[in-house]
Amino acid sequence: MKKLVIIPAYNEMESIVNTVCDVKERALGFDYVVVNDCSTDSTKEICLENEINLIDLPVNLGIGGAVQTGYRYAFDNDYDIAVQVDGDGQHDAAFLNLMADELERENLHMIIGSRFISGEGFQSSGVRRIGIRYFNYLIKILTGKMVTDPTSGLRMVNSQVIELYANNYPKDYPEPESVVAILRKGMNVKEVPVLMRERTGGVSSISMKRSVYYMIKVTLAILMECLRDRRDKK
Amino acid sequence: MMTLKIQIIIGGVLLMGLIALVNMIKRRKMDLKYALLWIILIIGLMILDLFPGLMDALAAVVGISSAVNMIFFMGFCFSLGIIFALTVAVSRMSDRLRKLAQALALTEKRLLDLLEKGEDTNEKEI
Repeated sequence: MKKLVIIPAYNEMESIVNTVCDVKERALGFDYVVVNDCSTDSTKEICLENEINLIDLPVNLGIGGAVQTGYRYAFDNDYDIAVQVDGDGQHDAAFLNLMADELERENLHMIIGSRFISGEGFQSSGVRRIGIRYFNYLIKILTGKMVTDPTSGLRMVNSQVIELYANNYPKDYPEPESVVAILRKGMNVKEVPVLMRERTGGVSSISMKRSVYYMIKVTLAILMECLRDRRDKK
Repeated sequence: MMTLKIQIIIGGVLLMGLIALVNMIKRRKMDLKYALLWIILIIGLMILDLFPGLMDALAAVVGISSAVNMIFFMGFCFSLGIIFALTVAVSRMSDRLRKLAQALALTEKRLLDLLEKGEDTNEKEI
């Protein structure tokens, strides 16, 4: 069973080494790869200095393009399981083996680490939680499934989904949209409770200014995803 | 009715546009594929400008009282068409760029891995 941790990194020079060490020490049995999305700080140099397994994108592709590079790497190298862990240190690598076990045991396509099942750890700010609640209902209405944390970046997928994502992955703000794509295909998605930390360095890709654009774009993307699926079935 | 004055002004602007366009294509600064849209637009407007009778008839059909407005309206519609085609082209381009960048990064990664492996085995042989 080959397992890969994909760590997308854009300007994460403060936290990337810690994140990688965390994965190495606490997620035994996992390989990892850092995808440097053409950072403007010295993320790349730091990775090279510390001999971190690195894919270096020549142009900035945004989070979606960077993560997809990781999935393509996983697909090319015949990985059975791939998991996305943010480079900013929000995710605790200790949960990875638990998630992998559950994915295997229950034959799931995707398993998402959710902040909101146990309600412990860093819970995101109030306004963002309202946004997340909105996506909960939107996804519930469109797919009939409750996803408590659709924006969670901590998601593990099996080889079938690796192939799917290697070929098609949204460009920006990809998390909710790509979950819906999986759900609409009738694949098994499960959530498990995890603790998340507040980011240790860098800045979130979703600033307050952009949150309106975020809501509209992701809503449209989810709706489009549903139209797309129906046409595929015919 | 269109006055001769506006006919000459519009004709002059179109002619200048056409010259600029041909110049761009000559210097290979514009893809002929996209230039084609512009050429069609300019020639179409030129015909309408030279034969205002055509314009009047067309305007009457759609219910626009002034033939000049008809020219503006048609130019506007054509322009929207061109902008739309550009948006499609840009989307396709960015998709290709993304695939290219990913393929490049992955190939580079594989190359570096292979080089490293080669060095390791060389050291062993020595």
